[in-house]
Amino acid sequence: MNLKKTVGLVLAVLVFFIPLVVPIPGLQFAARLTMGIFMSAAVLWMLEPIPIYSTSMLVIFLEIMLISGQGLLFNRPMAGVSAVPGTVEGTWVVDAASISDGTVYTLEEGRLGKAVPVEVLEIGTERVTFKAEGLSEATLLASDATDWRVQYKPLPYKNFFNALSNPVVILFLAGFLLAGASVKFDLDKTLTRFFLRPFGTRPAMIVLGLLLATATLSAFMSNTATTAMMVTVIMPIISQLKGDDPLRKAVALAIPVGANIGGIATPIGTPPNAVVLAALQGSGISIPFGTWMVLALPFALFLLFAAWLLLIKLFPAQEANVTLVLKGKVNKSGKAVMLYVLFGVVAVLWMTEQQHGLSSNIVAMLAIVALTVTGVVNKEDIRAVPWDVLWLFSGGIALGEAVSQTGLAAWFVNSINFETVGYMGVVILIGLVGLAMANFLSHTVTATLLAPLAISLQYSGVVNGASAIAVLMVMVAIGSNMGMSLPISTPPNAIAMGTGTFETKDLAKVGVTIGLLGFVIAVVLAKTMWPMVLQSL
Amino acid sequence: MSAIYILCLEDEPEVLDNVVRDLGEFEDTFPIEAAGSVQEARKIVADLTVRGDRVGVILCDHIMPGEDGVSFLVELADREETVATRKILLTAQAGLESTIEAINKAHLHYYVAKPWKKAELVQIVKAQMTEYVLGQESDIRPFLGVLDSERLASAIRQKGLLTDE
Repeated sequence: MNLKKTVGLVLAVLVFFIPLVVPIPGLQFAARLTMGIFMSAAVLWMLEPIPIYSTSMLVIFLEIMLISGQGLLFNRPMAGVSAVPGTVEGTWVVDAASISDGTVYTLEEGRLGKAVPVEVLEIGTERVTFKAEGLSEATLLASDATDWRVQYKPLPYKNFFNALSNPVVILFLAGFLLAGASVKFDLDKTLTRFFLRPFGTRPAMIVLGLLLATATLSAFMSNTATTAMMVTVIMPIISQLKGDDPLRKAVALAIPVGANIGGIATPIGTPPNAVVLAALQGSGISIPFGTWMVLALPFALFLLFAAWLLLIKLFPAQEANVTLVLKGKVNKSGKAVMLYVLFGVVAVLWMTEQQHGLSSNIVAMLAIVALTVTGVVNKEDIRAVPWDVLWLFSGGIALGEAVSQTGLAAWFVNSINFETVGYMGVVILIGLVGLAMANFLSHTVTATLLAPLAISLQYSGVVNGASAIAVLMVMVAIGSNMGMSLPISTPPNAIAMGTGTFETKDLAKVGVTIGLLGFVIAVVLAKTMWPMVLQSL
Repeated sequence: MSAIYILCLEDEPEVLDNVVRDLGEFEDTFPIEAAGSVQEARKIVADLTVRGDRVGVILCDHIMPGEDGVSFLVELADREETVATRKILLTAQAGLESTIEAINKAHLHYYVAKPWKKAELVQIVKAQMTEYVLGQESDIRPFLGVLDSERLASAIRQKGLLTDE
């Protein structure tokens, strides 16, 4: 095991204990544990001594062990005492230790029941007389009201396991199966030929065509698979061009740029969107599939257009005409045609959610059933689903659940004065932080770390209403997806770089510019168009 | 991390030097070993196997004093640690019988007739090493800029070797 891994692991363990050892006022024990898990997971996700999907599983495991009702810390019963009826009717007498801050805590089967406010009447040396609603002689009270176990009603461990089957996970599973079937039946190649044909032979048009085609495909398929396919499409173009023709760079860079931008266009386009959607759903806010597209498409189109201008300006073509040879036949087999039909039906159902009333998660289940019943998707295809990606954002979902339910979110919101920056300040800050992180970290990890913090801001004074928090969360998604300046930022960059047609400095120039442009466009939309679209939430 | 080697086997020292030199661009990612005889090559393979490393591609002459190339290739094909190695015969004279044996028993992957052109040889080794890596490695990211990017991209698309993360 090499040094980097060892350092990462040791650091992760050490960081876990920081919130437990450092005194933090106003933060109860379970929330400190959650903070420890959060910080430890952040270290593990950033330094990657273990695979990132493994860290996600570790998050779920630690939450179950440490903060669930069935885990090691909260599954041991507490000692209880009974309240004795007092001398005056309607009053009770109990040991002084059972009352703290004007509250007693009932126990149900040794575990925390309810917190009951009491009106203290008389304080004796050891016993206290009080009035309270809902107590009977049979009620057991926690004998020590300051025990750390009464501060937090532990979540059932099932809540954390459920992160693995959250409806958003099913939504993405459907997306993955559709995308996998599209590759199997060459639908991605068919659509590419269809999209590129009208763009002719002029270099500038071809770059535009590549941007649009890649973005459209990556909206429904993974950015990485789309990039991999488009690389095979552009190789014949590249080989036509002379070695020093800047058009080579424009063509090769159009692919990862288009793929990254396209991923934002639909909820299923890219995993960071899943983290954001799940966080919103956890707060009872559901952005319909079609609504997300109404928000994201203008953004994507503006940015794609800007990217096009940037690419043809930075890398003007020497060659005047480029022939695009697009070979291939449309797969007309029974199952392929069934795929085309199902894909179309599911896409329409997703986009018309508000008309028919079925949530996109339910339509996803319909898609899964339809695909497997018709045999379009078989056992091998199910096994080929990138389950590690599903686990990866499940961990994010579980982390968000713990952060909000243990009170860590509330504490976070109360500790920082957001009034000084105001709502737009928060939106801008989150967007910039996300953009910066996403250039160096996995996009999904960026979203996973930011979403729990961002969603908690709905309890601060500055983010008011469902629409406001939704806009903020969409900003998290955009920031997380716009990191594309380095080969390590995202797999599409690495794949495109592998063609050897451009250097890291070209990628950085383009990636930084588009990232910042995207951020600016998003901020403008966040101030103007998005709140209007989201009014109805 | 287990290294993947390129092994060159040729009895004429000048020719051996030429091969190694022509494949220089792979050296950073795939260390190159040179052997002047089958015996030497066998020892090299044994040593690197012990270290946990592997031979990705072998370029092998046929007619040599002592044991000949094709028999060595057959031997490699029969051993677990080298069955996946991509086998290239680089020779001026191999009779039909030896060639048939190389194809059938050694599962020869490519036949290059001497004299070779450097650009062609590089392409062939690149293609063969790409197949080796696709068959043996789970993480193909280190090879993206070095090997056949089109073939790698195609495999990434088909088999989901890389995903959004």
